[in-house]
Amino acid sequence: MPEAVKFVFKEHFDNRGLILKLAIVNMNKQTLRTSLGVLWLYLHDFVYFFVFVLFRILMAGSGEIDNMHNVVYLVTGLIPWFYINEVLNVGSASIKSYRSIIQSIKFPITIIPSIEITAIFFKRIPTYIFIFATCIIYGYIGNFNIFLFLYYTLCMLMLMYALMLLISAFVAVSSDFQQLFLVTIRVLMYTMPIVWGYKHIVTMPVLNYAIHINPMVYIINGYRDAFVVGDIPNLIYSAYFWLCVLILFVIGSFVQYKLRRYYADLM
Amino acid sequence: MKNSIEVRNLTKKFYIFEKDYHIFSWLFTKKLKGIEKVALDNITLDVGKSEMVGVIGKNGAGKSTLMKLVAGITFPTAGTIETQGRIGSLINLSAGFNPDLTGRKNLYYKGMLMGMSREDIDGILDDIIDFVDLGDYFDLPLRMYSSGMSARLGFGLAVFSDPNILIVDEVFSVGDKNFQAKSKAKTTELFHAGKSVLFSSHSDKLIREFCNRVVYIRDGKIAFNGDVEDGLAMYNEDVERQGKK
Repeated sequence: MPEAVKFVFKEHFDNRGLILKLAIVNMNKQTLRTSLGVLWLYLHDFVYFFVFVLFRILMAGSGEIDNMHNVVYLVTGLIPWFYINEVLNVGSASIKSYRSIIQSIKFPITIIPSIEITAIFFKRIPTYIFIFATCIIYGYIGNFNIFLFLYYTLCMLMLMYALMLLISAFVAVSSDFQQLFLVTIRVLMYTMPIVWGYKHIVTMPVLNYAIHINPMVYIINGYRDAFVVGDIPNLIYSAYFWLCVLILFVIGSFVQYKLRRYYADLM
Repeated sequence: MKNSIEVRNLTKKFYIFEKDYHIFSWLFTKKLKGIEKVALDNITLDVGKSEMVGVIGKNGAGKSTLMKLVAGITFPTAGTIETQGRIGSLINLSAGFNPDLTGRKNLYYKGMLMGMSREDIDGILDDIIDFVDLGDYFDLPLRMYSSGMSARLGFGLAVFSDPNILIVDEVFSVGDKNFQAKSKAKTTELFHAGKSVLFSSHSDKLIREFCNRVVYIRDGKIAFNGDVEDGLAMYNEDVERQGKK
């Protein structure tokens, strides 16, 4: 197991330039033929976000969620989620989508999910403007904490790198697993406090713990802290989060290390 | 290392699983639910500098498997392969190209995938443009290309990337007559410059024209390794005998 972790680290370190360069090239891979390019993506996000806001207002009026204006609550949850969602969808199939390359060029395979995660991150950086704009409009910007913002962005990237190392390997060799994973993503959003508040759940400890088992909740809550609430991270939950990242990374490295010799044969 | 390629006791097995998910139990407990196919069985082979070795055999005998193993794309089940220098693999020429990018951008893109820097490509760009001779198409998206044209682009990049070993898997049929003549000339030039070439083909004519040694693979084993005419004779005899059955 230690050699697996060492191998993945080394492959990432040796190819750090390649990861960055390919991430930049791959940024607008899907929208290359369109006239608006990557702007289409922001339009998607905006419309999606707008639909949620509209529904929220129609159902519950323009009230508050967890002592926060509901539009602000939604935007601080949805923008990070849009990123996570795209990584889960695209990143999980990343190794599979490099199939023809893996089968005809010698290529450092473990960096493939990292390339895609970085590419998605780069192209989504401008979507943070949505959050800033909303916070300014609703007068919350005074609480913005840049350090928390950078910290939680780092958390988000690290969790994605670690998780995708594992998932992309499984998806590459098993189409059954891919379907299972895609089904999970569909449900995942509604298990997290993205479009609903959970202050009233605090009275139900079991449910409250159950929600927080998912380390992504740490990030969603974290962004709200960074933009609006301003609380510093809870020490125990932070430790739990980083433990999750570490475990995922170690298991992911182990699986990648075992599978790297078989990708070209099995896909 | 005296030789460019040294293959020792190489065995390659493929595993075909009944169901996709059986791979998980196989990975972690080594219990195999499915079939094991031996593609190459205990192969030992040397290819020296300035040698052009033809690999012949029926479909499915293991030629391509050997090529991919030497190119480092797949990994051996047992045994070792040592190679020296950059490997130019002409295996699936249009792999790694993006149909929405222009020919020029695709060269940089695939070069990057192959581990070349921007400067490396800048240095050979003019040679490639001249060699592939695509004219106006070079700055059009690859989706406009015919299959032969994108294969030519792949061929150009592989042979100009200064390979020490060239692996040619049945690709001289790409392109028109002019391009075939050019690609043969370029391969010969590399070979005269001291590079090693591993060349697989079903055409006796090409093997005779190019190779100074031939390796005949039959059912995953090396049945013959030596003089071109003797190897071809043995192979053709086998083919005829099977044809009669």
